[in-house]
Amino acid sequence: MKIPSAALRQLQQTVGKENVLTDDISLSLYAYDCSLSRTRPDALVHLLSSADIAPVLRILHHYHIPFVARAAATNHAGSCTALNGGVILNTAGLNHILQVNTQQGYALVEPGAITGDLQDQLAPLGFFYAPDPASERVCTLGGNLAQNASGARCMKYGGTIDHVLEADFVLPDGTEMHFSRQDPGPDWIGLLAGSEGTLGLIKQMKVKILPAAKHIKTFLVTFPSLSDSVQTVSDLAAQGIIPRCVEAMDQVTTRAVEEFAHSGYPINAQALLILELDGAPAQIARDEKQLEEICLKNHAQQFIPAKTESERQKLWFGRRAAYAAMARLAPNVMVGDGTVPRSELPHALQKVRRILDDNHIYASLLFHAGDGNFHPQIIFDERNKPDAVRVTRTIKEILQACVDCGGTISGEHGVGVEKRAVMAYQYDTPTLDLFTKIKRAADPQNLANPLKLIPLDYEAKTRAALPLPAAVRPLAAALLARRQAQAPVVIIGGNTRLRSQAANTLSTRELCRVLEVDKTNYTATAEAGVTLDELSQALQKAGVFCALPKGRGTLGGAFASGCMPDFYPYVLGLEALLPDGSYVRSGGKLMKNAAGYHLTRLFAGSQGTLGLVTQLTFKIFAQPVALVHNRPFRPGHITPLWRALKTQLDPQDLFPALPGGLNA
Amino acid sequence: MPDFYTPELDPRHPKRHLTALDTPFGKRLVYDSVSYCNRCGSCQQACPTYLLTSQETFSPRGRNQLVRLLTEGKLNLARNRQLATEALNSCLLCGRCTQACAGKIPTAEHMLELRRTLQAPALPSLLFTLLTWRGTHPRFFRRLVRAGLWLRRTGAVSLLRACGFCRLPGLGWITHADDILPSYPAAAVRTRWRQAVAHSPAEPTLIYLPSLEADFFMPQLALSVLQLAEHTKHRPAVWANTASGLFDYVYGDLRQSRRLLRRLILRHTAVQNGKLPLLTDSIDVYLFLRRAPQLFAAWPRWRQKAQDFAQHIVFITDLLPHKPAPAADKSTRVRLDRGALFTREGTPFDSARKILQTHFKKNFVECLYKDADTPAFGYSFVRGNLGEKICMSAVRSIARTQTGTVFTLSGLSALELNYYLKRFYPLAKADHLARLNG
Repeated sequence: MKIPSAALRQLQQTVGKENVLTDDISLSLYAYDCSLSRTRPDALVHLLSSADIAPVLRILHHYHIPFVARAAATNHAGSCTALNGGVILNTAGLNHILQVNTQQGYALVEPGAITGDLQDQLAPLGFFYAPDPASERVCTLGGNLAQNASGARCMKYGGTIDHVLEADFVLPDGTEMHFSRQDPGPDWIGLLAGSEGTLGLIKQMKVKILPAAKHIKTFLVTFPSLSDSVQTVSDLAAQGIIPRCVEAMDQVTTRAVEEFAHSGYPINAQALLILELDGAPAQIARDEKQLEEICLKNHAQQFIPAKTESERQKLWFGRRAAYAAMARLAPNVMVGDGTVPRSELPHALQKVRRILDDNHIYASLLFHAGDGNFHPQIIFDERNKPDAVRVTRTIKEILQACVDCGGTISGEHGVGVEKRAVMAYQYDTPTLDLFTKIKRAADPQNLANPLKLIPLDYEAKTRAALPLPAAVRPLAAALLARRQAQAPVVIIGGNTRLRSQAANTLSTRELCRVLEVDKTNYTATAEAGVTLDELSQALQKAGVFCALPKGRGTLGGAFASGCMPDFYPYVLGLEALLPDGSYVRSGGKLMKNAAGYHLTRLFAGSQGTLGLVTQLTFKIFAQPVALVHNRPFRPGHITPLWRALKTQLDPQDLFPALPGGLNA
Repeated sequence: MPDFYTPELDPRHPKRHLTALDTPFGKRLVYDSVSYCNRCGSCQQACPTYLLTSQETFSPRGRNQLVRLLTEGKLNLARNRQLATEALNSCLLCGRCTQACAGKIPTAEHMLELRRTLQAPALPSLLFTLLTWRGTHPRFFRRLVRAGLWLRRTGAVSLLRACGFCRLPGLGWITHADDILPSYPAAAVRTRWRQAVAHSPAEPTLIYLPSLEADFFMPQLALSVLQLAEHTKHRPAVWANTASGLFDYVYGDLRQSRRLLRRLILRHTAVQNGKLPLLTDSIDVYLFLRRAPQLFAAWPRWRQKAQDFAQHIVFITDLLPHKPAPAADKSTRVRLDRGALFTREGTPFDSARKILQTHFKKNFVECLYKDADTPAFGYSFVRGNLGEKICMSAVRSIARTQTGTVFTLSGLSALELNYYLKRFYPLAKADHLARLNG
C-alpha cells in the first residue's frame, strides 16, 4: 500500500524527519526476522521516545495504515514482518532500564530493553529476572512479553507471562491503558503475553525480579532411552523436586554438539539430561541424594555432578553450543518449537524422528524436558527452493504430530505467520472465532500486525469441533433458552463471593466432578462447579496437593471472580461456554502454550462477563505447596478493552453487564 | 542483472576481489558466506554502531543482508549507493559480530568486498593519497611525514588550525591527527631508533616490521619492542617504513595490497630462506599477515608461499614474559583494549589477557560483554562522529571500573584512546602492551 504523503508528514512532525524512512535499503532491512518470512514494509518509523507511541498510532489509525512493532526481531515465527505492508515501528531504541527496585522486587523497563542487560544490572545486586530465553543476550523484554518467551528455567519459574507486574499499553487507535496484576478483572497482562503485537504496542513494563540463588549445582545424567529420561523428570516432579533447569538432548544432538564444543558429553547415550538444582546448600544436598536415587531407578548410565564452576560452565557451554553446532553446517537453521504433555514426550519425539527421517532431513533435537517442550533444529539452504519447501512441510508435519499427541504448536516461539496455517489444525472453529473477536475488540480496523496468529479462512480448514461434554449440555440448553428470551443471566458457582440475590442466576454447581488426577504429568482436571473442599478431598485421596485453599466456594468461582489471582499461573487449560452458545477449549496438560491468545488469562477474573468457565486443568504437586492468597471480592476495574471485548463476545449483554452497559 | 558483483560474477575485474574467504569452516565464496547469516540477531548487541543507533542499517545482520540483497539483485545499487556506502563505512570492521555469531560469519570481510565493489572512498582523499605513498613511494613518504612532524613542532599546524584552514572540506583529518599524535619524541629516543634501523645485525634471528605509528610517531614503542626481542635472546633486524599491504586491503585496491604482500613475502624468503619469525607490534597487521593466504586463493603457488609466510608471523604477546617483572607496578587496575580489525578472538588476545592477569592478578579488570573498545585502524578518520562516540563509551567503561592503565594491542589505538582519556578521564592512561615493563 502507498502511505499517504500527509500521513508521512505528520509522522515526521511527531518523531522527526530523520526517523521516518522510505528508502529501499531501510525498508529491505526491516523486511525480515529470524524466520523465512520476508515482506517489505512501506515505511519505517524509529521510535526514540515511548511518549511518541500513542501519537504515532493515532496518526496511523487516522489514515488506516497497518503497522508492526519490531525490536530485536529475533523471533523464529515471522511475528514481526509487515505482511500487509504498512509501517514498521522500530522500538529497539526504547531500550532503557528506568528503575531497579530491589526493596519491592521490580524493574521498570522500556519495551526495547535487552533481557541480558537487565540480568547484567541485576547480577551485582544479587537479583535476577527469571525468564531466560536462549536469545536473552539480544532479545528485548517487550518482545519477550509479546511472544511469551521462556527458557530453561521455565519449569521452576514460569515464562514471561508470570513475571510482568504492570504494563503500559497503547491500543491501535492510540488509547493508552495501564494494566496491573493488582487490578480486579481479567488478567490483561496475561492476554498481552503471546499476542505478538496484534493487540497494540507495549509502552512500558514493570517486571518482577527475584533474589538470585547463591548456591547452584549442575548434573549431567545419561540414559539408555528417551523415555527413561522423561520418566526421571516426572518422578522428580512427583517427589516435589523442581530443578532450576532440566535440559535434554537426544543422541544425534549430543554427537553434533560434542564434535563442535567438546564439552565431555558421552556420545553413546541415547538421551542426556542437564539438571540444575538451586537453594540452600543443605536443601541441595538433600535433593541431590534423591535426584541420584531417582536417576538410578530410571536406569541412568552416568550421573556426573559438576564439581567446579568451570565444569559447570563447560556443561552449559555444550548446551548453548547446540545451535552453533548446527549453524556452521548449513546457511539456515530452522528452530522448530512444539510442546506436548510431559508423559507424551518420548512418543512425540519418536514421531518427530520418524518424520525427519522420512523427509531425509538432518536435525538435532533439544528439549526442555520439564515442560514437554522440544526444538528440532533443522539445517538447510533457503536458496534451494525445493529444500526450503521440504523443510517447511516437515515442520508442519511435526507440529501436527504434536497436536495429535495432545500438544500445542508453540511452547515459546509464538505463531506469527510461519505456524499460522497449523493453528487451524490445533484449534476448532469456535476457539478461532473467539481469537478473531479478541483481535477485533482491540483492533477493529485490523491495523496492528495484521494477518498474524489467526489462520486465514479457517472455517473450512479447522478440525471438527468435539461434541459438547454431556455435563455441560443442560447448562448450554439453559443458556440458549435465556438467549432466545433475551433474558440476562448472572453466573454463579457457590454464590459465596458474589452473594447475588438476583432471580436470574445460572449456577455451575451441577458441574461438580473432579475429572482426572494425572500423576504422570502432575495435572488435575475438574469441573468448575466443584467446591474447593470437594476438590481438596479428592486430591488428598489421590495423594496430591494443589495451591488452592479449602473453602465452600467453587473452583470456577475462585478462578473467575478474581479473588485468587496467584492461582492463574497454575491453570494450564480451560473449557468455557460463550454467550453465543459456542464452546471453546484452550490448553490442557501442557506446561506452556504460546499458540494464540491466552484464553485462560482472559477468563481469569472476568467475573462471568465474557463466558462461563466449565472446566479447568491445573498443576498439582506431590508435596504440599504454599496456598494462594484469597482476596475479598471486588467488582472489576472497567477498561475500554474489556468493554470492547464484551461487545464482541456478548452483544446482547446476556451475561453479567459491565457497569454503565456496553456503550458507556 | 545484478549490479553488485561478487568475484564469481565479475569476470571483468576478478582481481579486485577475494576469490574466496577463509572461514573457520573452510573456504566460502562471498555470496555463500553471506548466505550463512541466519538472521538470528546474535550479533546485534555486539556491534558498537548498532548499540549507538538501534537501527538495522547499522547492524551486522543488516549489513550482511544488504550484501546479500545486492548480490541477488534485489536491491539496485545505483539507486541506493549513498545509503549503502553509509552502512558500509560505518562498520568498524572490528569482528565483534563474528565473535558473537554461531556461524562465525566474517561480516568485516563482506564489508570490505562491498567497499571494493563500490569503490567509494572511505578516507579523505588527501589522507588516502598520502598513505598510499607509503607503499608506492616509501622514501618520499618518509620525507613527507618528517616534514609534517617538523611543521607540527614549529607550531605551523596549530596556526593552520587556528586560522580555520583545517575546516576546509577534506582537511578535517589534520585536526584529528594533530589531536591524537603525541608530542615530538626526545632527540635521544629518535637517535636510538635511527641507529637501530641503520645497524641491523648480520645474522638476525628475528625481523621486526614496525607499524606506521611506531616507526614515525612512537619510537619509544618501537624501542620497547626491540628491547623485548633482545630480552628473549633475539637479534632483531628492523624493516622500517615497509608497507604490509593492510592499508590497501582495507581502504584501497586489493591488487596493490597483493603486490605489497608479494614483495614482503619475497623479501622475507630472501632472508635465511624465509625461516625467520616476523614480528609486528600492531595486532591489525598481525591479523592481516596471518590471513595472507586468503588473498592468493586463485594463485596456488603464491597461496602456498603465503601459507608458509603466515606461519612465521609473530606478535609481541609471543615475546612478552608470562612471569611478572619484579619491579612492575601492580597496584593500578588495568584492562585490555581488544580493539582490532577482523576479530577479537585468537591466540594473541588470549595470551595478552593471560599475561595481564598473571602480572596484575585481581587488579586486572575483565571487560563486560558490551564494553566498547577503541575503533581500530583509522576508523576515526572515516566516521569521526561515530568514532568519537565509541571512544567515549570506552572511556565511560574505563571510568566505571576505575581502571588506571589500559593496554592496547596497537599503537594507534593507544594514541586514540589517550586523547579521549586526557580530555575526559585523566586518571587513566592507555599504553601499548609492548610497554608493559616500560
